[in-house]
Amino acid sequence: MPGVSLRDLTRRYGDVAAVDRLSLEVKPGELVALLGPSGCGKTTTLRLVAGFLAPEAGEIWVGDRCLSSPATVVPPERRRMAMIFQSYALWPHMTVAQNVAYGLRFKRDLTAADRQRRVAEMLRVVQLAGYEARYPGELSGGQQQRVAVARALVVEPEILLLDEPLSNLDANLREEMRFEIRRLHEAFGITTLYVTHDQAEAMVISDRIAVLERGRIAQVGTADEVFLAPRTRFVAEFIGKTNLVDGVAVGADTVAVGPLRLRVAGAGLVPGARVAVSIRPHDIALIAADGASIGVNALRGTVQRASFLGDSVDYQVRVADGDVVLRVSAPTGQRRRAGEVVGLSIDPAACVPLAANEEPSQ
Amino acid sequence: MSRVLAEDLARAGVPRRWAGLDRALPVWASVLLALVFLMALPIGWLVWMSVGGAAGVTPRHYLAVLHDPALMKALWNTVVLAFWAGLASIAVGAPLAWLTARTDLPGKGLIRSLVLASFVTPPFLGAFAWVMLAGPNAGLLNVLWRDVTGAADPLVNIFTMPGLVFVVTIYTFPYVYIMVANTLALIASDLEEAAAILGAGRLAIARTVTLPMVLPALVSGFILAVLQALALFGSPAILALPAGFHTITTQIWALFQYPPKVEMAAAVSMPLLLATALLLLVQKRLLGRRGYAAVGGKGGQRRPIPLGAWRYPALLGALVVMACAIFLPYGVLAKAAFARAWAQPLTWSNVTLGNVTFTFFEYGATQAAVLNTLELGVATATIGAVLVALLSYVTSRRLILGHQLVAFLALAPIVIPGVVLAVALFIAYTRPPFVLYGTLAILFVAYLTKEMPVGYAQSEATFRTIPPELEDAGRILGAGRLRILRDVTAPLARSGIIAAWCFIFIGVIRELSASIILFTPNTKVMSVVIFDLKEEGHFGAIAVLGIAMLLLTFATVALVQRVLGRDVLGVRE
Repeated sequence: MPGVSLRDLTRRYGDVAAVDRLSLEVKPGELVALLGPSGCGKTTTLRLVAGFLAPEAGEIWVGDRCLSSPATVVPPERRRMAMIFQSYALWPHMTVAQNVAYGLRFKRDLTAADRQRRVAEMLRVVQLAGYEARYPGELSGGQQQRVAVARALVVEPEILLLDEPLSNLDANLREEMRFEIRRLHEAFGITTLYVTHDQAEAMVISDRIAVLERGRIAQVGTADEVFLAPRTRFVAEFIGKTNLVDGVAVGADTVAVGPLRLRVAGAGLVPGARVAVSIRPHDIALIAADGASIGVNALRGTVQRASFLGDSVDYQVRVADGDVVLRVSAPTGQRRRAGEVVGLSIDPAACVPLAANEEPSQ
Repeated sequence: MSRVLAEDLARAGVPRRWAGLDRALPVWASVLLALVFLMALPIGWLVWMSVGGAAGVTPRHYLAVLHDPALMKALWNTVVLAFWAGLASIAVGAPLAWLTARTDLPGKGLIRSLVLASFVTPPFLGAFAWVMLAGPNAGLLNVLWRDVTGAADPLVNIFTMPGLVFVVTIYTFPYVYIMVANTLALIASDLEEAAAILGAGRLAIARTVTLPMVLPALVSGFILAVLQALALFGSPAILALPAGFHTITTQIWALFQYPPKVEMAAAVSMPLLLATALLLLVQKRLLGRRGYAAVGGKGGQRRPIPLGAWRYPALLGALVVMACAIFLPYGVLAKAAFARAWAQPLTWSNVTLGNVTFTFFEYGATQAAVLNTLELGVATATIGAVLVALLSYVTSRRLILGHQLVAFLALAPIVIPGVVLAVALFIAYTRPPFVLYGTLAILFVAYLTKEMPVGYAQSEATFRTIPPELEDAGRILGAGRLRILRDVTAPLARSGIIAAWCFIFIGVIRELSASIILFTPNTKVMSVVIFDLKEEGHFGAIAVLGIAMLLLTFATVALVQRVLGRDVLGVRE
């Protein structure tokens, strides 16, 4: 089971670099999600890996085979990969069994009986036994999805590519299929690249997440790492809700935001440097105003708006002595009203300093 | 960059060219070569011939055309004919389209079928029929008129410019109908209801909402009708020549009569060619500019507008149009086919199968012509279908650099009127290295070129409905491009390609305007024989052959409807 290595991949459309010097190592058996908003280059990256596109610069290696370089591109059919498409791309004129068996036609060493056995086996794995003779048009969206999965897995690919495979399903089914895909990945252990724009999906399914911004990788890490320690503004904002507070470093671990002082996680800030601090709404504690001391990471503010969301309350709090408005997500137990003065307490570990410049770093 | 744009770009040009053209390259190369053969060579020769002289480039032929009053008169007649036929087509086609698309007119399905019938009826057959109906002396309508009123003068004379406009219009109005009906069918009722809730009355809605939205379709239908009228040869030849005037197409044909003046014909062809190209350009601009969200949208229901007391008068009006286009002509053709004398009442003593036996067994040219037509029809349709399938595959999948040029070339023959094409082919293929004149091959080339745009459009639409992911999915599983073509693309495109075959076949069996210039005694086709029979005044035989042609056409149309599951006009239910 080889891994995949993308080295300085570049692919332009006209003047726009859809993929810009992108490098990524996917370990053998690992599932990496390419996560990013529309137009960040994630689908282009996937199509480069599949061999549908040729890179203008850079290389793609699988194990010790160089599959793509500006000079030569191994065509898709000789890459020993499989791909699951957003539209599923099931062939409407073939039955479920024919769809699934298609890739096996190109495996010369298999007997007809082998093929049949493997198709039946795979359909059982995706819980579609008994649907062999149906046509895709006669299946529900979720069932079509499973056929697409079976068709990709039955050929035992070295690399599996998924292009937003769940985006056509309704919300409930999507959640169920997330766990299903993760289960199949654990069962088969195929090295997988998974393209999505849905951060929750990426967090559930993948071993690691590569966040893409404008054709480059903004950050690679486990779900914990990218959520708890985002490295750039873009990553902090894209993965979950967050408050971004702009300030100036006044010490190795202290940031000044106007008259306020925030102690932040980690150390090593250069005093005088501009710093943005990311604070997740649920990491801010609301306390009664009278008991609150004002000081480092302890602020006072006025509730501007309180929205009851069922399992939590979303507050918008304007901090006194500063031009800062924070979103706070608090438990429903102690309700505050608009206009009320409250104290805010923030754990320094939850204050993540970000590089202030917009340039994504690798 | 939006996701859609990125995806589009991802499919564009360069990547696929790298990703695996492999063994398919020779196929694409030969297709391109075929395009050059069919288009570039003849048109190149045509242009060259129109300016060529012993001493290089000369405007001599154009000056000769300008100074020849007869030629200028023919040009003017063509303008008059095309303009009035275009206007009349709107006057007939647009109301019919509105009635069938938006109102509760009874018998909408029937009217639609009849419009389709008019669309596929060879116009020259209609012209023959109307000679029998409205010829000044023996025309049945005029005879009836004299009998009923006792008048000495005929009611109508079809051998006039208005007569010609009339006969052209009844077979070109379907172009307006198709454009308008398809557009109307896409305008959701809520757009009109939005105006109604704001206080607009019926008429105000029609004027401020509906009409502006269909205007591009209306104008573009007008242009298509004008183009059709410009390019027609049969109807003017049958109606204008006896009346003593020429149109540009009959004039070009006349220039080919012995002794042929090829250079003059080439020079007269150029204005026709340019006018056609210009009009199509305008039409494309018009349609390209429509940013009407509703046109092409799916949302919104379409509720038929109640006609109230006007239902039956409206139906009657529609049926009158259809009587002119279908009932009367078909009726008189049927009568002529089975009558000893077509002008006499259809009594038992007047009924005969003699015309049929004469046409198929006694008249010398028929059997060979029918055989030629079928042979050419099948050959052109088959090779044409393969060609347009390959072309549209290349362009819809953007397989090669310059795929836009290929698409342009495939559609380009639409600007070439049949007569002009024939002149060009005559010039190009009567000289070495390619001497095709006098063989069926030159007719084949003419038909293939002429029918390619229709086939290409059909086949391109087919490939657009097959998402490229279906092919990608097979590639990544191990199938090469050609294998995917066989396993995935071909089965999915099959019905669309069969439809393209049928469209080409229908076009070929009715073709007259190019055939009339390119045929030789050994290479006559059905339409040419019909034209010959006119010279001999053999209306019974004309009717028999015409009906045979119609039967062949309708059988093919039925096949298309079966294969596509919709009617040829593309009008939605």
